[in-house]
Amino acid sequence: MSSLEADVLVIGGGSTGAGVARDAALRGFTTILVERRDLVDGTTGRFHGLLHSGGRYAVKDPSAAVECIAENRILRRVAADCLEDTGGLFVATPWDDPDYGDLFVKGCEATGVPAEEIPVAEALRREPRLNAEIRRAFVVPDAALDPWKLVWGCARSAEQHGARILPYHRVLDIEVVDQRVLGALVRDEHSGEEFRIHSKVVVNAAGAWAGQIATFAGCVVNVRAGMGVMIAMNHRIVNSAVNRLKFPADGDILLPLRTACVIGTTDVFVPDPDDTEIGRDAVDLLLDEGEKLVPGFREARALHAWAGVRPLFEDTRDVAETRDVTRSHALLDHMAREGVAGFVTITGGKTTTFRLMAEVAVDAVCRQLGVERRCTTAEEPLPGSESHTLYGLDTRLAAREPVPQSEEIICECELITRSRLEQTIKRRATTNLDDIRRLLRLAMGPCQGGFCIYRATGILHHGDRVDHTEANRALVSFLEERWKGLHPILHGDQLRQARLDDWIFQGILDVEHLPA
Amino acid sequence: MSDLIRASLDHCVKCTICESFCPVSQVTPLFPGPKYAGPQAERYRGIGVSPDSSIDYCSGCGICTTVCPQDVKIAEINSRARAKLWEERGIPLRNQLIARPSVLGRLGNPVAPLANWALHNRAVRSLVQSVIGVHRDAPMPRFAGRTFQKRSRTHAGAADAPAVVYFHGCGTNFYEPILGEMVVAVLEHNGFRVIIPRQDCCGLPLQSNGNFPAARSYVRRLVANLAPYARQGLPIVANSTSCGLMLKREAHEILGMDDEDLKAVSGSMFDLMEFLLGLHDRGELRTDFGSLPLTVPYHAPCQQRGHGIGKPALDLLALVPDLDTIELEVDCCGIAGTYGLKKEKYEISMAVGKRLFDDIRATGSDIAACDSETCRWQIAHGADVSAVHPVELLHRAYGLDTNGSRRAHAGAAGRRERSGS
Amino acid sequence: MSYDTLVVGAGLAGLTTALRLTEQGQKVVIVARGVGATHLAPATVDVLGYLGEERVDSPASALTTLLADVPGHPYGRVSRQQIGASLEWFCRRLERLGYAGGLDHNGLFPTAIGVARPSALAPRTMLGGDLRDGGRFLFVGLRGFKDFHPSLLADNLAHARLPAPVMARALELEPPAERRGDLSGRLLARRFDSGELTDWLVRALQGRVEAEERVGLPPVLGLRRADETLADLENRLERHVFEVPTLPPSIPGMRLYDTLTAALRKAGARLVINAAVVGAQAHDGQIESVQVASAATTMSYRTHSVVLASGGFASGGLTLDSRGAARETVFDLPVAGVPEDGATRFVAGYFDAQPLSRAGVAVDDLLRPTDRDGCPVYRNLHAAGAILAGAVPWKEKSGTGISVATGYAAADAILAPSAVGVSGSIG
Repeated sequence: MSSLEADVLVIGGGSTGAGVARDAALRGFTTILVERRDLVDGTTGRFHGLLHSGGRYAVKDPSAAVECIAENRILRRVAADCLEDTGGLFVATPWDDPDYGDLFVKGCEATGVPAEEIPVAEALRREPRLNAEIRRAFVVPDAALDPWKLVWGCARSAEQHGARILPYHRVLDIEVVDQRVLGALVRDEHSGEEFRIHSKVVVNAAGAWAGQIATFAGCVVNVRAGMGVMIAMNHRIVNSAVNRLKFPADGDILLPLRTACVIGTTDVFVPDPDDTEIGRDAVDLLLDEGEKLVPGFREARALHAWAGVRPLFEDTRDVAETRDVTRSHALLDHMAREGVAGFVTITGGKTTTFRLMAEVAVDAVCRQLGVERRCTTAEEPLPGSESHTLYGLDTRLAAREPVPQSEEIICECELITRSRLEQTIKRRATTNLDDIRRLLRLAMGPCQGGFCIYRATGILHHGDRVDHTEANRALVSFLEERWKGLHPILHGDQLRQARLDDWIFQGILDVEHLPA
Repeated sequence: MSDLIRASLDHCVKCTICESFCPVSQVTPLFPGPKYAGPQAERYRGIGVSPDSSIDYCSGCGICTTVCPQDVKIAEINSRARAKLWEERGIPLRNQLIARPSVLGRLGNPVAPLANWALHNRAVRSLVQSVIGVHRDAPMPRFAGRTFQKRSRTHAGAADAPAVVYFHGCGTNFYEPILGEMVVAVLEHNGFRVIIPRQDCCGLPLQSNGNFPAARSYVRRLVANLAPYARQGLPIVANSTSCGLMLKREAHEILGMDDEDLKAVSGSMFDLMEFLLGLHDRGELRTDFGSLPLTVPYHAPCQQRGHGIGKPALDLLALVPDLDTIELEVDCCGIAGTYGLKKEKYEISMAVGKRLFDDIRATGSDIAACDSETCRWQIAHGADVSAVHPVELLHRAYGLDTNGSRRAHAGAAGRRERSGS
Repeated sequence: MSYDTLVVGAGLAGLTTALRLTEQGQKVVIVARGVGATHLAPATVDVLGYLGEERVDSPASALTTLLADVPGHPYGRVSRQQIGASLEWFCRRLERLGYAGGLDHNGLFPTAIGVARPSALAPRTMLGGDLRDGGRFLFVGLRGFKDFHPSLLADNLAHARLPAPVMARALELEPPAERRGDLSGRLLARRFDSGELTDWLVRALQGRVEAEERVGLPPVLGLRRADETLADLENRLERHVFEVPTLPPSIPGMRLYDTLTAALRKAGARLVINAAVVGAQAHDGQIESVQVASAATTMSYRTHSVVLASGGFASGGLTLDSRGAARETVFDLPVAGVPEDGATRFVAGYFDAQPLSRAGVAVDDLLRPTDRDGCPVYRNLHAAGAILAGAVPWKEKSGTGISVATGYAAADAILAPSAVGVSGSIG
């Protein structure tokens, strides 16, 4: 059996794992990252996209708030291209406790979160769709964070510094000999090949799945999975991150994310982080909460629904509602906890603080290896963010000027050109259209692939690396996967779209009868 | 942008029906089409300066909205995006000038012979093209000298007849007063007393050139004059389809105006042919038409679709004995109000209209009918025929042209003038 | 304004019923919000392509089984004779487009991804692609036209389940002198109509086509002169040339729309686009007038009969709100086939049978929408096309067949109500 060697083996391809891989690589450690699915397909790829200012935690969890505002400032410097400076608002609707506003002011002062109260009229001028009955409004430096850009940026940066990033590699076991972790047994999910990775330290950054990984090493990491449902709406009903001015609860954030806007989220404990069916209740709750913020929200066009699972680390207590379990991160040095060397777990936390979590984890790696190497991720910009210019909503539209159709635009909703698609297919060397979707936003617009997926399949096949059965499979599995996020929210305009898409795929193309 | 207009982008299912009808995107790569520029691009706008100047190549013909099966307000979204673009850049002098036909009319009419000579003189037009940016070959009407308002001041109808109010528009007033006289004659022939209130421009060219505030004040002034009649329950007829549509719908939907006067006027506004057909449907239209043995190709202006009334002129012309009306199937003549006057858009405009001109020429007729004055001027220019308002044919069939039938044959606007060829 | 019949909707069902009524001497007006689904669909007439998993070779034979399996199907509301007559009528009225085929045997035509799809009628421009006799095929793509991928098409077709062996290969050509890289079907159609592309295509293909190969092209051969262009290509290349339908916009569908509306106008019908029906006034179970919203006002159309051909969910004829309540959007008719409140409307498997698929308006044997007791809601209101309950047309491949047959039968019901009304017994 073949094997690979590295100083650091990172398990988990979300923001934490990618952040660890980057930090480690920048500090000169040879690094390998393995992720059982595609990068950013776990929690990081399924959250609402809010780069916290900390306002949300200013009252409830002050230490989290302090971390958030510090990281917010850092990421604006080093990950500018992954962020859109939407700004944030905290608004009190008639349904919200009127006393919370004062608590909010005090909490922000105490934690250093900049919060400026503005007149309601001004808030309504900025956000004309907001409920005209709001009572108070504050401006905070929230931003919208594109998790795919962030994680792939970290991955690319890590690769530039010699790391190997291996998506679709599943950890089958962790090798422990004499209370020391020597590495892992992994399987390449595409080829089926199994091989070993030998490492000096394994960093378990598997998020909600960290407990499962830890058991391979004979360690206990009690991570509860808190499922949260989110719904993307077809266009930017609001242009800033709008938060309810109240104790954090379900459905109290509505924020723009690229061309859509997202309402979230719910919080239900699920025993299996891979089993996340979206129920009617969650959808109704989110639409109702959205309606409180934006009258007419319920019947506005809902584009797609998805569920992510928060990793909630719990050391001892047993709680009914997972929300109250700490949302701060936890670094577990298993040498200290269970006497197992060469193994650390970094868990909990939120994407906003991923860099800090990674720093903390790689600091632990340094300690385990007995070296001192300084973290530079707070200064070193990610690839693409060197100019420190934050991403603009209109970037893709402006890029097509002055002759918008100078080349084929394959995904018209998200303005993806043929050359961009071809480059991405080649670079990723993938036959999975969902992988492409996560990199380019393919099929993430209003038509949800109705028009672009046939085109993308044809282009995938055209590249000659993919035969017709693989191309067919790519298309069919894309449609099946896409439907999971569509059927829970299918009503009104989106149902109309879905029917048209049915006509295209089944009526016109007849994909049901493609040769297997 | 008003929430309702922008929110209508949610109805778009990317079916591309609008794109298959857009006349401009078919002839130039500079305009990506209504679906692209409207509901699709709008999801990327709203932050910072307008990112897409290609929106300026939308001609505003409005066909997209009328064929959209989903009620997306595509043309309206485009119109507002364009206005925002020009608000940011500052509207150039040329657009400010050509957007004020009543100002130009008042300047030109007192010196009509000189003004007409100048506007149809090649050298002057070349100078105008380089200095101001109006294409030297763009079709220009002729100042009539004496406006329709002046001519009709002393005209009075039968005192006890039911009244109808006439919104004649700038085209009739400054360039085609004889058409106005024909409209009055046809209405009087059908037993109406025609009231011609003081009136000025409806503001449509200002709107389509992105000057919304100025457009709004024109609308307010105009509806202030017309509203009292509307409130008396009198119908208001317009012989220009685009101006009529402005008051029926666009001032509200695009300019966002909600004034009471406007509402009153909108509810009472009729396109002239719509009004006459309505009379006919109630059995109240005089059908004492004489024989008019002509073959006349008819072009329904783009804006007429916006009215949602079908093509009433066809049904009316069908009543005239021996008149063979050919319904032209091309959607747009290209002029789109002031669009085709602009030097950077003239070629596009002529390319858009080319098939229409070819189809007209193929009929062999030397006369064509169209309800909109700017379209008539474009058709006369592009197809080298006389272009008349369909009411002129009714006027002739009624035998009302006592002032020399030759003139009516040539059309109220006169034969197409070649600007030096 | 007073009419014999007012038709709501300018899709294939609406245009069919309007044309049939107009040619029988009625004064007809069509009112539509926009143009209909003809612009999106392939323009073949598909009566029945699949019965469950089984591909249908003969709709004539399969209809009996269909109606036994799905008694509420729209085909059960018309007679076998009407279905056949509607197809014959369609071919006659659309002679200019050269439709051919019938109820007895489906043609088999390639889709843009290379599946063999059954259709009862196809226009002349597609007939050359009938796969039933097998043979050799060359599929030609045009660079810049992104809705046609001939190599995937050819590869899939070569592995399709076909009655006779097929060999297929692909070629991509670059159309000359294009000032843009993203070409719409409409643009290419325009260039074919003007004659610019025909010569080029012939030259580009001569010497590259092999013996006996039929040439399949994207569906862009023109709007006005497609037949002449096709004939020209076939003559000069000395082989069958045919169009393969693909994603919207459908140029062949636009030809169909243009031909039908031209026939309607010539026969004296009125077509009002960009107008929505907002209400109806009825007396004693009979609609007397229909209110139609135009730019600023609501116009009242008095009419003797009404045909609702507003389409299903895809067209907005039916809507579902965020609480799962379904509504028929024009006359607020009862909607049948909707799962009860709280029950799922959609299941997780994309290709599985979806509970909401067959929802629509239930009708009697005169195609009149009925209430829960089976009584017609209005005595003079009929319905046709995708608004009808009981079918899953995109799976059955029956959409245009239902439109034509029920559009035709609705006209029958209006013209001679006493002569019809036979319960749709087939076989």
